Amino acid sequence: MLDDELLSVHLQEIRRGTVVLACLLILKQPNYGYALLDQLGRSGFAVDANTLYPLLRRLEKQGLLTSDWNTEESRPRKFYRTSDEGVTLADTLTGAWDELHTAFRTLKGES
Amino acid sequence: MTSPKTLTDRYVDAVLHRVPTHQRPDIERELRASIGDAVDDRISAGDDPADAEAAVLTELGDPVRLAAGYADRPLQLIGPAFYLDYTRLLIALLTVIVPAVAAAVGLTRGLSGDDALTVAGETLGAVVTTVVHIAFWTTLVFAVIERIPALRRARRRPWTPDSLPEPPSRRARYGELITLSVVLVLCTTFIVLSPVVSPETDANGKPIPIITPWWWESGVVYLFIVLVVAGLGFVFAKYYVRWSVPLAVAGSLVDMAAPILMLWLAANDRVLNPAFVQAIGWSPEAAGRVNTVLIVLAVVSIINTVLQGLIRARRG
Repeated sequence: MLDDELLSVHLQEIRRGTVVLACLLILKQPNYGYALLDQLGRSGFAVDANTLYPLLRRLEKQGLLTSDWNTEESRPRKFYRTSDEGVTLADTLTGAWDELHTAFRTLKGES
Repeated sequence: MTSPKTLTDRYVDAVLHRVPTHQRPDIERELRASIGDAVDDRISAGDDPADAEAAVLTELGDPVRLAAGYADRPLQLIGPAFYLDYTRLLIALLTVIVPAVAAAVGLTRGLSGDDALTVAGETLGAVVTTVVHIAFWTTLVFAVIERIPALRRARRRPWTPDSLPEPPSRRARYGELITLSVVLVLCTTFIVLSPVVSPETDANGKPIPIITPWWWESGVVYLFIVLVVAGLGFVFAKYYVRWSVPLAVAGSLVDMAAPILMLWLAANDRVLNPAFVQAIGWSPEAAGRVNTVLIVLAVVSIINTVLQGLIRARRG
């Protein structure tokens, strides 16, 4: 039986980076921080709020997301949306993911 | 709601305090909205409002960590990109400069006639101060580099196999070994024989030593010979033994001690025998020039030792 701590370290390693791709894909429909956190959790991409919120700003700074303040509701919220550049990156990353998937299948098929 | 300050207010303040001013209003609005959304979510699930707020803030975690995330600030003093450069430079500086300081302070204190305990105390004090200074300033410089993005990106040239430690190229270093041994042996012979062999003799036909008799009276000559022999030992040790920190420290201590001793002797005009200078008819200025030349040679030798130590440690 695998040691829990070891297991979580390896799981964390393999999940690193997937959150960025998940955000770029989800945010093709504009959304705000907390709703995105909720949606990521429900889709199986467990991420902490204190990781996600700074990440969104970093992606915005890199030009992969754009943002707009929605002040129509009682609580003003910052809505993020994947930019054209972000969409291109998401396509590239999806391609890379598919290649990895194929590579793993081949590996397992051969062994 | 505005006063007294709620937990959320205090949390947001703690975060904003540590992010750049121009980002504050935007981060504050977004963070408050996010916290508010999370709290509402918990309340609608049946939580007590106060519990909900506390739980949401606990989940967000240490505000300093969150602020570091917003400000893109590293949560480490020196990261992996610079860690190796940092330890290499630190080891190089410590193994070269600390022995030099110890030798300088120990010798000058010892020669000015302080008792052994004072000499040991002063030397130890100087060593501790030097270690603390080197460690502090080196760490500070690297911590600053780690925190300035422009400097962080201006990484040094990438590693290439050329910077691998050289295998002892035996032939080249063998030449160095032989030359150094011959020079050291000749110098020692000259010093040891100088009381009995001299081109000048006095009225009774006895030789006038070139080197001041003070060396023998004070026992400095024995110190000098010990240093030369130890230096020779380390030349051989460097040739046959792998580089290691203890060897490097001891080696630079010995390499530094002889030039520093020479520096001190020349600066105090305790090299040439005044009687000999008189016998060959030199002016005192000429003797002074000899001292100057010796001082320059000693300084060059010290600088050379420091540079060699730095190069060796960078490759190590």
